[in-house]
Amino acid sequence: MNINFSKQELAFQTEVREFLQDYNDIDGFLSQGPVWPQVRAMFSAMGERNWLALTWPEEYGGMGKGHSYEYILWNEVAYARAARNPLSSGVVAKSIMRYGSDEQKQTFLPKIRTGEVHFSLCYSEPEAGSDLAGLRTKAQLNDAGTHYVLNGQKCWQSYAQDMDFLWILARTGKQEDRGRGLSLFICDKQTAGITVSPLPTVDDDQLNEVFFDNVEVPVAQRVGPENGAWAIIGEALADERHIQFPPGRVRRDLEEMVDWLNAQGLGDDPVIRERMAHLVSKVMEAEILGLRVLEAMEKGRNATVDAAMNKIVHTLTCQDIPRMVLDYGGPEALVNGYRPEQIWRQSIMETIGGGTSEIMRSVVSRQALGLKG
Amino acid sequence: MDFELNEDQQAILEAVDRLLEQHAGPTRAIELFANNTYDSELQQALEESGFSNILNDMAMEEGKLAGLEAALVVEAVARAAGVCAIGSQIMLAPLLTGKELTDQALEGPVAICLRSQIEKPVPLRYGANAKTLLVLADSNSDDDLEVITLGDGDMESVKSNFGYPMGRLVNTSVSGTKLGADVASKVRNWWRLSLAIETVGTMEAALNHTVEYVKQRRQFGRAIGSFQAIQHRLSLCAIQVEGSRWLAREAAYHNAQDEAVANAAAFAIAAADKVFGESHQMSGAVGFTREFDLHVWSMRLHTLRQELGGLGGHRKAVVAARWG
Repeated sequence: MNINFSKQELAFQTEVREFLQDYNDIDGFLSQGPVWPQVRAMFSAMGERNWLALTWPEEYGGMGKGHSYEYILWNEVAYARAARNPLSSGVVAKSIMRYGSDEQKQTFLPKIRTGEVHFSLCYSEPEAGSDLAGLRTKAQLNDAGTHYVLNGQKCWQSYAQDMDFLWILARTGKQEDRGRGLSLFICDKQTAGITVSPLPTVDDDQLNEVFFDNVEVPVAQRVGPENGAWAIIGEALADERHIQFPPGRVRRDLEEMVDWLNAQGLGDDPVIRERMAHLVSKVMEAEILGLRVLEAMEKGRNATVDAAMNKIVHTLTCQDIPRMVLDYGGPEALVNGYRPEQIWRQSIMETIGGGTSEIMRSVVSRQALGLKG
Repeated sequence: MDFELNEDQQAILEAVDRLLEQHAGPTRAIELFANNTYDSELQQALEESGFSNILNDMAMEEGKLAGLEAALVVEAVARAAGVCAIGSQIMLAPLLTGKELTDQALEGPVAICLRSQIEKPVPLRYGANAKTLLVLADSNSDDDLEVITLGDGDMESVKSNFGYPMGRLVNTSVSGTKLGADVASKVRNWWRLSLAIETVGTMEAALNHTVEYVKQRRQFGRAIGSFQAIQHRLSLCAIQVEGSRWLAREAAYHNAQDEAVANAAAFAIAAADKVFGESHQMSGAVGFTREFDLHVWSMRLHTLRQELGGLGGHRKAVVAARWG
């Protein structure tokens, strides 16, 4: 057992902190949409350092480093409130490396690595949220066999308004084939027939609906085999577990809430201090469970259960922290734009996105406790 | 990053589990508890096998105690419901070996309490059986430690339903050797760590017992553990136990630093309340009977929740460590 980062890892952490000094005021983690140009610029600066390809193999221009480097980078970025980890250099790029054609690798990987292009994931639909295998957006091969024609509607897409490309999960098989009838496609967002429509959210950001009306996607932009997407998206999800919920976020949340309470002259109240202690425990729990996920991935173990536990703890903790201020801060805590209410509004979504708490609990009960049914 | 136990630690765990198969377990705990009796045989077996001084003996370098190794033993004994003052024996007494007090390990069983708890005596775990009593100042701001050798009649047995033999000091004029703040604060931290670790082992056993029960118990034609209403609640308990385990082991790995131990104890005993309630609720009526072993572990959780200022005491220590 060794719960320490190596000297090299700690040196990298220092380097990341120095880098972030130029980006500390972006504030794109809680709400990325309004500050996307600044976030994009930061990603480009990271691309110049090759940090978007930390764990990529060297043959694709990556640095070939371990998962711990990605963990450190995105944990520091989360603590600095700068941004969330981009899906393009994670889910998208790693899937292309594993399943993409040579042409897809040559076309997309260099641009993703440098932060030139960004992707939005188009998975969920109005009738297919947690039950993703039931999705209905159809991709029909044309008679000439050159293009797929996409028709249907996606829903709740993060960042689709700003991204350059869409990473689309669509049905190429029968509806009753469920997950075995799905394929993945890359599509330029400017392609005719695509409409992105905003769904404003309570945190002053937005999700999106994405409509496909006879959208033609070249066969060459299908990733992996036809009807073979289920395994690809499962593996891609597993690739990102160590950076999906960085505990730096909740550490920073707590620091900001305590600062706010102190500024209101409430920080010495014994009742509030008792709650602060409880939240320290929750933050430290999130930190140790986050490291458990990292360790499982570093060792090549299945991290499904560790990640589910971590997701539940992290997301409930980020709701519990601002709740302390809403419980004890008085009406001042409700003023629009103040950190407590801003974090509170954003945190509501965390127990839904990336797999709801209920799905995660089922993972733990079935895979960790062996409860069937 | 490596959370796996190394070969030595794995060997320790296997060895202590083998010993506990012979000397502990719920049946033995129930027998001993019926007479408020201490398990001297288990204590002797742990001493003879070298586990009692593992904190010092396994130390890899000067000043670096074998906290994790000691924690593994304490956790295992708690899981096996050993009726033995394992925390104070393994984690506290060795800290005093070689001090001005004695060159030998303290005579066990060792009980421990706060100063106010001998001025107004309260029931103490293993108090009736203790040969040595450690007394800490109530607050770490004026920390000191008194080591008292107990004589016959200094303590009296107290009946309790909460899983441990208990005793209360009757001779309130006892006194012993006073040690300074340095030793006292160390003992305080290791006591907290011990509480956290014992809580982890006890909670885990209670939860495991419940999980096995819901897999077997059938209602409405199916195992009750197949209902999502049961599964999701037990999942949250499992997460609480895992969180408690790794926070406590992390604190042990770093040899009982202030914030880490305060947090490990606060987290674990808060979790214990949840695990107690849910494990009994999921076990239905049989869970409240003496014939079902759940009570062996579950009732103990409430004893562990009382020590060293309880949840309030641990949480005060957390905020003091972080924010002063």
